[in-house]
Amino acid sequence: MIRSVGHPQNHAWHRSHARNYRRAWFLMAGVIGAALLLYTLGDFSSVAWPVLGTAVLETTYRLALAYGIALIIGITVALLVGWSPYADFFFPFFDVLQNLPSFALIPLFIFFFGFTDRMIIFFAVSSIIWPILFAVLNTIKSAHKDLSDAATIFGARGLKRIPYYLAPLAYPSILTGSIVGIAIGWEAVIGAEIITNIAGFGDFIKTASATGITQASIAGTLAILVIVFVLNRIIWAPLLAESAKRYAE
Amino acid sequence: MPNNMTGTQQMTLVLSRVSARFADEEARGAYALKDITFGVAKGSFTSIIGPSGAGKSTLARVILGLMEHESGEIVRNFARPAMVFQNYALFPWLTALENVAFGLRMDGASLHEREHVAREKLKEVGLLHLEKHYPAMLSGGQRQRVGLARALAILPDLLVMDEPFSNLDTITAEALKTDLLKIWRSYGMTVIMVNHLIPDAIELSDQIIVMGAHPGHVEKILDVDLARPREVRGEQFFKEVDHLTEVIRTIS
Repeated sequence: MIRSVGHPQNHAWHRSHARNYRRAWFLMAGVIGAALLLYTLGDFSSVAWPVLGTAVLETTYRLALAYGIALIIGITVALLVGWSPYADFFFPFFDVLQNLPSFALIPLFIFFFGFTDRMIIFFAVSSIIWPILFAVLNTIKSAHKDLSDAATIFGARGLKRIPYYLAPLAYPSILTGSIVGIAIGWEAVIGAEIITNIAGFGDFIKTASATGITQASIAGTLAILVIVFVLNRIIWAPLLAESAKRYAE
Repeated sequence: MPNNMTGTQQMTLVLSRVSARFADEEARGAYALKDITFGVAKGSFTSIIGPSGAGKSTLARVILGLMEHESGEIVRNFARPAMVFQNYALFPWLTALENVAFGLRMDGASLHEREHVAREKLKEVGLLHLEKHYPAMLSGGQRQRVGLARALAILPDLLVMDEPFSNLDTITAEALKTDLLKIWRSYGMTVIMVNHLIPDAIELSDQIIVMGAHPGHVEKILDVDLARPREVRGEQFFKEVDHLTEVIRTIS
C-alpha cells in the first residue's frame, strides 16, 4: 500500500506497526523454538517429518489456488451484481446457494472431477467464495448515498463505476471476506482430503489418528498454525490496519 | 410557470409542478416533493430553506437527476453540474489531491493536467500543503474545502451545495462562507444551496425558496434585493432576517 512515510502521522503509524511486527515475530520464533526443543528432546521422534511437510505443502497449495479462483470469481460477480440494478434480486438467490451444506456437495464434485486435486480445489472454491461475495455485495449495498451520488456527479458512470468507485469502495470488505473465506477454506480442503483419502494434511492426520501416533497430529496442527500465523502477520494484519486507518470516518 | 421566470434562455433551471417520491412512499400514496415550481436565473445564488422533512436534499438530488421525478417538467440549462455534500462525501481511498482530480480523471484528462488543476484548486481553498493527506486525516472544515475544490475542478456551470456548513464550527463555517462568495463571484456560476440558517441564506442569496413539509412543497419564493457586499450588521439585513424568520415560523 502506498503511504507517505514523510508525514509525521504516518511516521507514528509505521513505528507502531514495526513494533507490532517485532512482537509477533518474537512470539512466533518462541513457538518454533519450543517445537524444535521438543523435537531434539525426542518428543516428536515418531513423526515422519518429510511426509508431514509434503502433506502440509499440498494442502496449502490447494488452498492458495482455491482462494485465488474464489477471489477472482467472487469479486467479479459481486461487483457486477452490485453495479447492476438487480442486486436486490440476486441477494436471496445467493443466500440460498450459500446455505447449501457444502460437504453434501462433495459427491457432485467427485462426479465432475473424480478423486483429483481439481476436485478438492473446486470444492474449496465453493466454500471460500461466499464470504467474499457477500462482504463485497453488502458493502456496495450499504454504502452512504452521498458517496454514491458523488461518484455519479463526478463522472463514475456506466462501466467506469466499477474500477473507480465500486472496487475501491469494496476493498476493506475484500480483506475481511478473504480472511473468513480462507478460514473456511482450510476446513474445506482438509475435510475433503479426509473424506476422499487424497494425499494432503487431512489424509495425514487421518492416518496418524488411525495408527495412534498422536504426536503426528499435534505436529501437523502446529505446522498449520505457524502457516496461518505467518500469513496473518505478513499479509492480513498490515492490510487490515492500513484499510482501517484509511477508511476511517 | 415559475413566478420569476423571464425566459428560459437566462434560466439555468426551471421546475414546473415537479413531484417525486421514494419507492416505499408509492404504496402509501405519499410524496417526498409535490408540485415544486420555481426557476433559477443563470449566475444567481439561490438558497433552499425550510424545516426538517421538507425534502430540501431530495429536491437537490432531483435537480441533479440523481433521483427520478414522477411528474412535472424540469428544464436543465446546465452541462457540468457539481455538488458539495453535507457529509463531504470524499472518497476515503484517495488523497486530497486525487479527490480533487477525480472528476477530471473521469473526463479523461492526463495525469499532468489533472494534477496541475487539482493543485490550483487546492491552493484556491488554502489546502495545497495537505495534498497528500487522506480524508480521514483531515478536519471537517478541511474536508469540506477539499469537497469544494473537487467541485470547482470540473469548472461547473451549476454548483449545488447540500447544507455545506452544517457540520462545521462557527469560525470554520464563516471562513468557508467568505471563500464561497469570492469563488462564486470569480467563477460566475449558478449556485443552489440547501441551507437551514436564515442569516446565511440572506447574506448569500439572490433568491430564497422557502419549503414546507409533508409533502415537501414550495411555500414562498423571496427575492433578496440587498446590495452586495452585504452588511450583515445593518438594519436592512436584520429586517430581512426577521421577515424570513416569521415566514418560517408560520409554516412550521
